Amino acid sequence: MLDEAAPRQSFTDKHRKVLLGLLAVAIFLAAWQAVFLVVPFNKLFVSKPDLIWDALVKLIASGDLIRDLAISAVPFVYGFGAAVVVGVALGIVMGWRERVSYALDPIMTIFYASPLVALAPLVIVFFGVGVSGKAIIIFVLSVFPFIFNAQAGVRAVDRLLINVVRSMGGTERDLYLKVIVPSVLPYIVAGARIAVGRGLIGILVGEFFAASEGIGYAIARFGDLFALDRMFACIFAIMVIAVVLTEGIRWAERAAFPWRAGQ
Amino acid sequence: MPAYISGRNVNLTFRPPNRGPVRALQNFDIDIGEGEFLSIVGPSGCGKSTFLNVLLGLIKPDSGDIRMDGKPLAGPGTDRAMVFQEFGLLPWRTVQANVELGLELKGMGGDARRKLSQPLIEMIGLSGFEGHFPHELSGGMKQRVGLARALATDPNVLLMDEPFAALDAQTRDLMQVELLRIWQTAKKTVLFVTHQIEEAIYLSDRVMVMTKRPGRAKKIFKIDLPRPRDYEMRVTPEFNKLKLQIWNELKDEITV
Ligand SMILES: Nc1ncnc2c1ncn2[C@@H]1O[C@H](COP(=O)(O)OP(=O)(O)OP(=O)(O)O)[C@@H](O)[C@H]1O
Ligand SMILES: [Mg+2]
Repeated sequence: MLDEAAPRQSFTDKHRKVLLGLLAVAIFLAAWQAVFLVVPFNKLFVSKPDLIWDALVKLIASGDLIRDLAISAVPFVYGFGAAVVVGVALGIVMGWRERVSYALDPIMTIFYASPLVALAPLVIVFFGVGVSGKAIIIFVLSVFPFIFNAQAGVRAVDRLLINVVRSMGGTERDLYLKVIVPSVLPYIVAGARIAVGRGLIGILVGEFFAASEGIGYAIARFGDLFALDRMFACIFAIMVIAVVLTEGIRWAERAAFPWRAGQ
Repeated sequence: MPAYISGRNVNLTFRPPNRGPVRALQNFDIDIGEGEFLSIVGPSGCGKSTFLNVLLGLIKPDSGDIRMDGKPLAGPGTDRAMVFQEFGLLPWRTVQANVELGLELKGMGGDARRKLSQPLIEMIGLSGFEGHFPHELSGGMKQRVGLARALATDPNVLLMDEPFAALDAQTRDLMQVELLRIWQTAKKTVLFVTHQIEEAIYLSDRVMVMTKRPGRAKKIFKIDLPRPRDYEMRVTPEFNKLKLQIWNELKDEITV
């Protein structure tokens, strides 16, 4: 029989992690704001939290921010979606077939390690400033975590578990559904967490170089106009999206793969 | 009595890539009667697990004749079940889902599975832990889940690879009694691998001693102690005599 639950904790004990994290953020913002009580403020070169907040509210109210984000979301969905499909498929083949991985490992590692964003202007030259050019940059940046993680996941499949299911009369289909997919899936989701960050970089870079709309373009344009409050507001929006996506995936991982907690 | 399971001249060599070959079994012979409880003791690495895997249908020997009920063995089947030395629990399945694995693979529905798994989970003393994952269990608990999983499908033949090795002495004694009860009421054929001579004598009709690798059958001891056996039997002179004989046979094979 199970024992009774642990003694009750107070509110601050239970949420200590979150509270301390929020406290640090608050101190950072307050310090930023306070610096300009002593240092002279010039809004052409710097900005401060209260101005950024005002700009953010205005950008949201006017619908500009939402429109830019919606525009950028389209190539992101295409590029990231393609990265999932291609990366997982390629990674599984590389994990399964030793020769394929011998052949492709070096070149993949080189690509993964190299600063691929440097190729962005080239991609834009070939594919234009539209959705396809941006989607390709996002794809190139976010595909590698899927490849490497799917490969590692396949390699980590425990032979013993395959044997267990086979010995109990499991079919090929059972091996996939009951052993291989549950072993590999957590690796792929962990890859997605890394890939999201790289994909968002892809979108910004793509729109910095050449674009006439989208959130990256908005950041670049506000920078050129010395409208730093609005520039920071857009950066803040991207930041929030990045945190929500990666933390969302982390949360989903914990909910979907509770057995990983012990690893 | 004709053997229910028989192995003749079984030879098996592992050929791992980039390393030298390992001869695991050499001219290995065995006969197991229907409903018999046979234990195997032998030095570590002599091929005991390997032979159980052969009987399970997971490894094909290089040569030799293996029959079950007169027919040559052809791959895995639900008439046999193994309690694996390394447990082999699926980490993403709860205790209950692990116990029910074989039933699920047979296509049995959830309610019917539960009806069978519940008493088994109770028997292994894990009531209340149905929803726990393997990483939340101790080694001994995991081993008992592996035992319940093998029993769930009610196989004719139980292959048990050191099934009680991870248990504390007291739980081990209780599990031994349970196993004998199941064996006697359900009339199963049991092939039991252990390093504990005492355990082998206490449980078995016969005990086989294997040579060091490459493993062969060295000697077989018939255990003529009356059944049902009780705990006190372990301190009788007959019991201790057998223990000594088997140890003498085994110790020459053990090199440290
Ligand atoms: N998959 C494998 N590849 C290569 N060699 C193997 C493999 N499995 C087992 N062996 C080798 O075969 C021999 C017999 O192994 P086995 O697991 O059958 O021993 P065992 O008698 O069960 O030992 P223990 O009592 O320690 O469990 C060992 O020398 C081992 O190194
Ligand atoms: Mg073994």
